[in-house]
Amino acid sequence: MQQAISTMLKVTVLSLFHLFTFSPLYAQPTDSTQIRTSVNMLGVGHTNILDTYLSQEKFSGIGFSYLNMSERENPNCDWTTVLQQEVNFSSTNDRSDKVNELEGSYSLFWGKYHVWRMAENRLKLQAGGLIGGHLGFIYNTSNSNNPAQARLAAQLMPSGIATYDFTLWKKHFALRYELDLPLVGIMFSPNYGQSYYEIFSQGNYDHNIVPTTFISAPNLRQQLSIDWNVGRTWTLRIGYLGHYQQAQVNNLKSHIYAHRVMIGIVKRFQILRYRP
Amino acid sequence: MNMKAIKRHIVWVTLFIFHFSLITSCIDEDEHDDTPQGNFEALWKIIDEHYCFFDYKQHEYGLDWDDIYNKYKVRAREGINREQLFEVLTDMLAELRDGHVNLAAAFDYGRYWTWHENYPTNFSDSLQRIYLGTDYRIASGLQYTIFDDNIGYVYYGSFQNGIGEGNLDEVIQHLMLCNGLILDIRNNGGGTLTYAEKLAARFCHEKTLVGYQQHKTGKGHNDFSEMKEQYIEPSSNMRWQKPVIVLTNRHVFSAANEFVKYMKCMPQVKIVGDKTGGGAGLPFSSTLPNGWTVRFSACPMYDRQRQHTEFGIEPDYYVSLKGVDFADGKDTLIEFARKLLVE
Repeated sequence: MQQAISTMLKVTVLSLFHLFTFSPLYAQPTDSTQIRTSVNMLGVGHTNILDTYLSQEKFSGIGFSYLNMSERENPNCDWTTVLQQEVNFSSTNDRSDKVNELEGSYSLFWGKYHVWRMAENRLKLQAGGLIGGHLGFIYNTSNSNNPAQARLAAQLMPSGIATYDFTLWKKHFALRYELDLPLVGIMFSPNYGQSYYEIFSQGNYDHNIVPTTFISAPNLRQQLSIDWNVGRTWTLRIGYLGHYQQAQVNNLKSHIYAHRVMIGIVKRFQILRYRP
Repeated sequence: MNMKAIKRHIVWVTLFIFHFSLITSCIDEDEHDDTPQGNFEALWKIIDEHYCFFDYKQHEYGLDWDDIYNKYKVRAREGINREQLFEVLTDMLAELRDGHVNLAAAFDYGRYWTWHENYPTNFSDSLQRIYLGTDYRIASGLQYTIFDDNIGYVYYGSFQNGIGEGNLDEVIQHLMLCNGLILDIRNNGGGTLTYAEKLAARFCHEKTLVGYQQHKTGKGHNDFSEMKEQYIEPSSNMRWQKPVIVLTNRHVFSAANEFVKYMKCMPQVKIVGDKTGGGAGLPFSSTLPNGWTVRFSACPMYDRQRQHTEFGIEPDYYVSLKGVDFADGKDTLIEFARKLLVE
């Protein structure tokens, strides 16, 4: 009896395992299936910071990123839904190496893409738009009354993705490039010489919520990656993430250029819509 | 989908993506060289674009920042060492006559302190020790006791030392049977404005206009926001209803100067001592190419007549510490305040 239960458990676990860890190149979706691609990546690289509210100097140093991406697609539909979450932390110094600035941020992107499949389904082109929300800070360890800058923004971003599947040395690879561009948005900013004491203690607002365009806040984001189907159930992704946040509002200039070498795992799930 | 349609799609998608990248550009700031001239230029520009008292000080004593540039540029020449450069830059900043303007390097702290160094201190910690004794109470940043004539005495030496509502409740409760209160803030060089507001709220019985503040909105010397009112609202906790004397000297500066500005608006309060040191610009900081940090006044604050308090606030009664009293172990200002409260 115990052996029978054990065998049943093994079968159940293996079935579930196969159900949720289908590799893309082996998936055979049907009309009722939805494919969800989940990506988790970690990255390290260079960060360059300018924020004239804190200093006229530029700061550069090392930064770390975590990226989570989730994409839902239906093989019978020309639209996909993408959700991305990005967390960054950087520690930077000025050129004299005496002043330190720390930067941290969380970004959330949700978007819809139209899909074109061509070249016998090897090339997938996606064009659409993202809604991006951004929350972060820059902390200057030397400043007194203006030690930090809060960063809060939302932006509509046209976006395009190109993915090309190919085989090399009998291994399956996928080359992917994504470009997210600025259009319009809204952001928080103190006025040129306005203190946070005046905003938050005195409640004096002065153009602190600023509409932005691709001219005043030219934020760009790009990802270039290559996927390698290492095994039956998981795919390795290595790539570059460039997130370039910029703004020129209230006579203040700021930029955070983050360049990251990313590595992570891609998993594709085939979701069956089952109704007994 | 035929090949023609595919090509058309690719062209449209490519154009859609790249027309934005063509019109977007890098947002950047020119950096000065890390040379004596470069650091001089960077400092002059930071002050030129951010300092908030140019017009007022031009009117008061003829400050002309463009003239200052020409005067000091020749001194910031190539080949001078870091100490010499520090001296040049500190001298240039001293032209602003502002205690909130500092240049900080690892080896020195450039400052303009003549607003109190050129005046008598009118304060002696030796005398204060006689008045406080050894059994005085300490509530966070406040030291307090009751004199023999039933006058309460509170000393608040720095608004950098925090005070909570609980501290203030305890102090007022302890002194509530006193006939009057001496609030001594001599040598208080400032700190956190919210502590000054919190303390002033204990002496306020109706929402009171105490002044105005502005901030810069651009790089021009006259680019300011409109003046916004500053109010002190009565504390919802225990409040002091009886007469109060605030003791001041030239070392009362910045947040302490603001506190005196607030207290001058309270009807039961009199200011006794010397003119305050001033410091009515909320300071900001920035950095130079060589890593030195500069602090400067960025947001001007005014009294309720919309007048500057940058160079100090006059007391209601000018009283100085007399040598004779000092020899007798008496603090002239405290004794004057006691008499005033008894009257």
